Amino acid sequence: MKTSNKSSNSTYKVKWFKKDSTQAVLMLSPMLIGFILFTYVPIIYILRYAFYDSNGFKETFIGIENFIRVFTRDKSYWSSLLNTIILTFGKLAVEIPLALFLAVLLNKGRKGTGFFRTTLFMPTVISAAIAGLIFSLMFASFNGMVNGILQDIGIIEKPISWFSSKGSALFVIGFASVWNNFGINMVFFLMALQSVPVELYECASLDGVNAFQRFFKITLPMIGPTFQVVLLNAIVGSLKMADLILSTTNGQPGGKTEVVMTYVFKYFFGYDARAVEVGYASSMALVTAVILALIAFIYMRSSKKLGNSY
Amino acid sequence: MSNKIKRLISTTFIYLILFGVLLITVFPLLYTFLGSFKTNMELLTNSRSLIPKTFVLDNYTQAWKLANFERYTFNSIFLSFFIVLGTIFTSTISGYVFERGNFRFKNLIFAMVISSMFVSLGSLTLYPQLMIAKVFGINKSLWGVIIIRVFGMNVTNLFITRAYIKTINKEIDESAKVDGCTFFRIYRSIIFPLLKPLVATLAILEFRFAWNDYLMPMVFTLSNPKRMPLVVGIMNLKGSGAAASSWNLMLAGTSIAIIPMIIVYAIFNRYYITGLTAGAVKG
Repeated sequence: MKTSNKSSNSTYKVKWFKKDSTQAVLMLSPMLIGFILFTYVPIIYILRYAFYDSNGFKETFIGIENFIRVFTRDKSYWSSLLNTIILTFGKLAVEIPLALFLAVLLNKGRKGTGFFRTTLFMPTVISAAIAGLIFSLMFASFNGMVNGILQDIGIIEKPISWFSSKGSALFVIGFASVWNNFGINMVFFLMALQSVPVELYECASLDGVNAFQRFFKITLPMIGPTFQVVLLNAIVGSLKMADLILSTTNGQPGGKTEVVMTYVFKYFFGYDARAVEVGYASSMALVTAVILALIAFIYMRSSKKLGNSY
Repeated sequence: MSNKIKRLISTTFIYLILFGVLLITVFPLLYTFLGSFKTNMELLTNSRSLIPKTFVLDNYTQAWKLANFERYTFNSIFLSFFIVLGTIFTSTISGYVFERGNFRFKNLIFAMVISSMFVSLGSLTLYPQLMIAKVFGINKSLWGVIIIRVFGMNVTNLFITRAYIKTINKEIDESAKVDGCTFFRIYRSIIFPLLKPLVATLAILEFRFAWNDYLMPMVFTLSNPKRMPLVVGIMNLKGSGAAASSWNLMLAGTSIAIIPMIIVYAIFNRYYITGLTAGAVKG
């Protein structure tokens, strides 16, 4: 930091582009321009168009009409938001405990731990869209393998049409998402568990503490901070889910499984024979961003205890 | 004695659970891979057995030649190659400049970049991004995706590189400076060569991201199906009316899309795991 002065006053003759600070700016500028163009400008674009009626070619200023429409007339938007929340918390209620449980099992240093860790992590490297596709083939109603297996075992008599009712469709989507994501959370927990000092467990075992007490009184508080961050990432990531929906149900049947990201996305692009409504989509995007930020904020507030539990 | 038996039972139980989860984890992958060798006839009727009755390679040749997968694969490789290569440079340069550079408004700019993380628009900025790309005439090819990914400043990568460069002893660059090295020269000849392990992590993370990405490449190839990468191509096949009759193509295509990923993972899984975890925890 301080050395830049030393080098610049020792050589007067150096042209200005040889100065360290100039070079730093020059090196950064392509990325800075890219960042402003593709991150900031889109946000400004959305802020502006939220107050316009636009189909991508023609635009008229309509004030807060779009927002009035979102809040008072568009029931589908709110039901897609509700789906997002149900799906997020429903799947995380399985994914997070599963990941933690597996991490605890793998933390003991038993034989084959490395093998299990590597294999269980594998679905994480697969695209969410592809994961959705594989699950939609496996759960297909007539020739899907899951129905076949369930019939063979005798759990069901005739094939279930998984994707024709909202409940079962959300179940399959949640299943696919858990499959696709639990590995990364497991690895996070495993890392956190490995930093818990062994002495703590030794003391506890001298005091005759049982396995459940050990987990809830020692392990969980010790990994609290990691838990808080992992859960935040998982919540934010799941709320932004889009690919998986597009590749499984695409909102079918009748828009009942639409999530908020896909719902708004379709208004932007006029996907699925919808009219392009850039202005309206922008206002929904803004409302969504505020709601998601609010959820993250509430989570951070209410999980504070978790973060500094030790 | 009874303690020993107890432990044996609990160990068996734990392995049973682990194998159970393992089975569910690998089942969809085996299903896809083995299914891709079944005939379409078998796929549409017999749905009970993982192992094909007759192994056929037809699906692959059909997908490759008739269903454009040759082109999709090329596009995926093209896209991933340039994104990986470009990102390695832009990420390490940004990390280096923010860590070692010294210029006006540095902290302000850094704060601006970081704060973009808190705006959760996700895929909702795709439309404006496409419109901006249109202004530059890059909205109908994969170059648009490449430019946005490479120059768009990935905050996670920035965090990883900045933290890594922080661990490199400052005396090294200071002595180089005394020897007359400029700021850029220090990056090129000293810092960058020291970043090899980090470059491997970045490359793998970025490869996974580019190879798996769906929405952005889809949007950029909407009107230009010839440039679709694999994931987009497969989804397109699913969305088309012929979906029911092309299970074999979908499975073969999916295998083509996931096998390179799994091979890379099998070889470099250490880098994967450290890279993914480093990014998220720091973020």
